[in-house]
Amino acid sequence: MNPNDSDASRFRPATADRRGEQDLDDLLVHVARGDQVAFETLYDRMVGPVYGVIRRVLRDPSQSEEVAQEVLLEVWRTAARFDPAMGGAATWVTTIAHRRAIDRIRSTKAAADREQKTADVSPPHDEVAEAVEASLDRERVRRCLDSLTEIQRESITLAYYGGHSYRQVAELLDVTLGAIKTRIRDGLIRMRDCLGVS
Amino acid sequence: MRFFRQDLHTLTGAYALDALEDGSELTRFNRHLTRCQSCASEARGFREVATAMAFAATTEPPPELREHVMTAVARTRQLPPEVRTHARPRRTRGTAPWIPWLSGAVATAAIAVAVFFGLGQAHTQNELNSAQAQNRALAAAQARVDAELTQARQHDQALAEILGAPRVQLLSHGTTKGGVAVVVLDAATRKLVVATSGLPSLPAGQVYQLWLIGPVRIVSAGLLPTARSGVTTPIVATGVVKGDKLGLTVEPAPGTKQPTTTPILALPLPV
Repeated sequence: MNPNDSDASRFRPATADRRGEQDLDDLLVHVARGDQVAFETLYDRMVGPVYGVIRRVLRDPSQSEEVAQEVLLEVWRTAARFDPAMGGAATWVTTIAHRRAIDRIRSTKAAADREQKTADVSPPHDEVAEAVEASLDRERVRRCLDSLTEIQRESITLAYYGGHSYRQVAELLDVTLGAIKTRIRDGLIRMRDCLGVS
Repeated sequence: MRFFRQDLHTLTGAYALDALEDGSELTRFNRHLTRCQSCASEARGFREVATAMAFAATTEPPPELREHVMTAVARTRQLPPEVRTHARPRRTRGTAPWIPWLSGAVATAAIAVAVFFGLGQAHTQNELNSAQAQNRALAAAQARVDAELTQARQHDQALAEILGAPRVQLLSHGTTKGGVAVVVLDAATRKLVVATSGLPSLPAGQVYQLWLIGPVRIVSAGLLPTARSGVTTPIVATGVVKGDKLGLTVEPAPGTKQPTTTPILALPLPV
């Protein structure tokens, strides 16, 4: 249904089949050498998660498109800086995307707009649920999120999809900073085990 | 102390979700990561969880995004590999090491110069020989420019900014008196860097002066430094406007307000 689903499902941090991830690393090596065709393939594989995560954090479609463009251009510009020792290509690209979205919301200009839009945020869990449909990744992530305690799940989704700092999350959930740090970390440990990340 | 470490260690989760606020905490944690192997490996695992969450959020972008990105890519220069081995993506912005890039630029200039002399002047064997000799001299001169530029790094932040700019143009042209000027132009900030090689040396009391020659005004862009081994160190000129040409004239020392001789170079600057 969504043309990106098949691409997304190639991402398999969980299972023995890591070929999808491997291909992305290879593509990035070619991109680093200025191969625009390789970049187009990389774009097709990664634009869904890139745009998706930015959109989830920023909400505003036109800002999201702008940031997505910046991110993809940054991938092109800095492909030679990709260090496989730090993680796979998919992680590298999505990390840039998430950070740029965060940079955008923490810049003062966007902050006001966003305030408005996050006022009536539906519960984060439902946001994941709404997308579930067919994608295996979505199904797995949803299942793993479901295995967390409520406060772990809320901490993680507010931080990652909501783009909130852990201090803000502590404020939102009305728990201490120490407790939030621990909940996020414990939750991620569970997620990691559930997803089968080594 | 023990508590402090423990406290830092529990931040791996928030770190991997980019939920640490910029500032001292992030700086401290980044430093901690370089020392704490288990923290770094835990953070890597958590990043993979975050990646799975990004994939789970997959959304089809507006169709025009592809074209916009490809258009931008076609005219965007890529950065060379980073010298440091463990740089993180966040650190790459605005901190591009410009020396390797510059070496590339100077090498490109050397090729441009070689083509210029090779194709433009090699009509006879005699000229060919002299062109080859000149090419060799220029190659050596360019290496020297490179070394000079490395030195300039410590002194000249303005230079680094132009050479580190995302989109610059490399221009080079011979002068009517021989020798060549190499220009790196940053149209966005309207600044440029000029270096020359192979200009004839001048008698005492005369200097080479650079100009921005526009349709309505001519302004001095400074004097060329004295050449060493035929090469002048790069200097920065600012305030380039549309229609400007970069001019070079020979003037009485210590330079003049307006040019008094015919330019030996008038290079159009596309801004």
